Amino acid sequence: MGPMSRRNMLQMMGAAAFAGPLLSMSRAFAAREGELNILCWEGYNSAQVLDPFRSAKSATVKAESLTNDPTMINRLRAGETNVWDLINVNNPWARKVMAPAGLIKPLPRETFEPYFDKMLPAFKAPYRWAMSDDGKDLLGMAQRFGPYSFVVNTDKISRATAEEQGWDLFNDPSLAGKYGILESDDWNVFDIFLTAGINPFVEHTDADFKAFEETAVRIFKGAKMIGDIATMNQALISGEIDLHFTGGTYSVSPARADGYPNLRAVTPLKGPIDGKGGVSWIEITSTVNNPQLSPLAAQFLEYVQDPEVAHTVAFAEGTFNPVTQMGNKACFDLFTKEELDAIQWDSVEEEMARSAEYDIVPDYDKALEIVLAAKRQRG
Amino acid sequence: MADGSLSAPAPKLTPGFRASLPVLFLLVAGFLAPLVTVAAYAFATPKSFDVFRSFTLQNFAAIFDPQNTVWTSFAWALALAFCCVAILLIVCYPIAFGLNKVFGKWSGLVSVLFVFPLFVSENVRLYGWVLFFIKNGVLDGALKWFGFSGGPELLYTPGITLFGMVYVYLPFMLFPMTLGIAMIPRDLVDAARDLGAGRMMIWREVELPLAMPGILIGALLTFVLAAGAVAEAKILGGQSVITITQDIEVAFTYAQNWPLGSALALILVLIVSGLALAAMARLDLDKILGKR
Repeated sequence: MGPMSRRNMLQMMGAAAFAGPLLSMSRAFAAREGELNILCWEGYNSAQVLDPFRSAKSATVKAESLTNDPTMINRLRAGETNVWDLINVNNPWARKVMAPAGLIKPLPRETFEPYFDKMLPAFKAPYRWAMSDDGKDLLGMAQRFGPYSFVVNTDKISRATAEEQGWDLFNDPSLAGKYGILESDDWNVFDIFLTAGINPFVEHTDADFKAFEETAVRIFKGAKMIGDIATMNQALISGEIDLHFTGGTYSVSPARADGYPNLRAVTPLKGPIDGKGGVSWIEITSTVNNPQLSPLAAQFLEYVQDPEVAHTVAFAEGTFNPVTQMGNKACFDLFTKEELDAIQWDSVEEEMARSAEYDIVPDYDKALEIVLAAKRQRG
Repeated sequence: MADGSLSAPAPKLTPGFRASLPVLFLLVAGFLAPLVTVAAYAFATPKSFDVFRSFTLQNFAAIFDPQNTVWTSFAWALALAFCCVAILLIVCYPIAFGLNKVFGKWSGLVSVLFVFPLFVSENVRLYGWVLFFIKNGVLDGALKWFGFSGGPELLYTPGITLFGMVYVYLPFMLFPMTLGIAMIPRDLVDAARDLGAGRMMIWREVELPLAMPGILIGALLTFVLAAGAVAEAKILGGQSVITITQDIEVAFTYAQNWPLGSALALILVLIVSGLALAAMARLDLDKILGKR
């Protein structure tokens, strides 16, 4: 072979540039034993959770975290079912939306149901939100959960007052300008219905929507700010606000762990959802209906059931939450007193009992439009 | 070119064209393809993914429905962008002039000071300002320490949103403007002065027209960036006003309506590019770039 000319070199570089992506594409179409892609809420994407799995399986694990369910469901609907192996979203989506739409695959019941028996009593098999509508298929695994209504600074508003008054706190004109609103618009839809005294999870009448709109405009006008979890916690700590609309252990636990136990997630004592005034969430992690599903997907779901890993998931960076595996003593014993206090373990059970589980709002689109229009009226 | 007998040259794959193929490929794949996809989505059935398979004007009908208040988001975005550009023009001109004519050997250091914030993420810088302005934060705490009653309540207002935009986009105005002012030949200013022009006349008749390409590019750059800004209104402004970018974001996320989001994005692109082109058309670029 003669000496390499600059022209040869350039030709080779060009060929390599074209061939590179093709080679990796052919790899992508080959069996996916060594890779796993997870679409999830923050926490599952942390190095603490993923690194031990990566090294144990010598696998390439990619996790993308998003902070709302509709976006994740949309990604699968848009055709990304051939990208992701696992999807981790709140409870109603697997059973009511993703399974009927063929976006997820059932799990082998004989392998995974025994894990439910070790979970907290409320999650024993067959756990409703993990099952298909007909009760035949196991659609996912439950792990993190928590009540999610609103958060108060108990130095300004006592827990007892907040629980007793519930959502009416936000109807109190004297608190205008003293509260913030978390920017989770899907949850804000639930909570504005609740503040208007209406069950969010049923079909609504025109009268309901009139009350909803009036409440939405007033609540947004009275808010000091709308922002993300960091903004809410920062504003509570600095004294800018005394309470914030939409929030719970998921949002306030990092501040409590940082030494602000006076900030507390509150669930109203009563409300319009068959007497319940709060809403709770339970994450269900499902295997995506990927034509080439990675075998690591099921292995990862088993891996996170391990008591130590479950504890790591509960305290992964960003947000701290109770996990269903705390029903297993081996897992529960790993939690320190400070960690239990950060996740308000003292009241988790009663708050979950006072909360309705996250559900689909039948007329969500109309309600969301009203919420967006109400937000615009702030300016 | 009045010679009608000459036929047009046959299209030929010239070496120049061939050499430009990689760049053309990158432009088509990286710039045109996403734009075309967004444009196509804007005409797809609402709340669907039927891109390139359906055609409807429903998304635009929904946006232009008189009941829809989304126009306020466009108005806020454009008003904030205009104000941002106007403030930056006033703030940056003296600095750019100083960098060229006054600061001398310190110019390099001053430039670095203005560039340095660009190395830190925009969100981190904005959260830094939140800590500065928040109740019991740097400003409020310091004033209380000195015996005052506390700082003004600036956070979570449209005013602080504008402040954030001015702060974030300052380098994008300053550096094109500095280059523009650097294009003013010293001789011309001296000649104008020798011929009896006063300081204002020199600025108006000599410096400003010669620096105009830089000023114009800076203004267009900051306007386009500011019209699409979202972090300032969210982090500093506490969503006290909703800008159009935020509506687009919600359409793509909570509303699960990509076609509506695409239609909003397309309208924003049309408004911003229309305004930019109109501004360019009013100015004779050839003249200000010196090609007479």
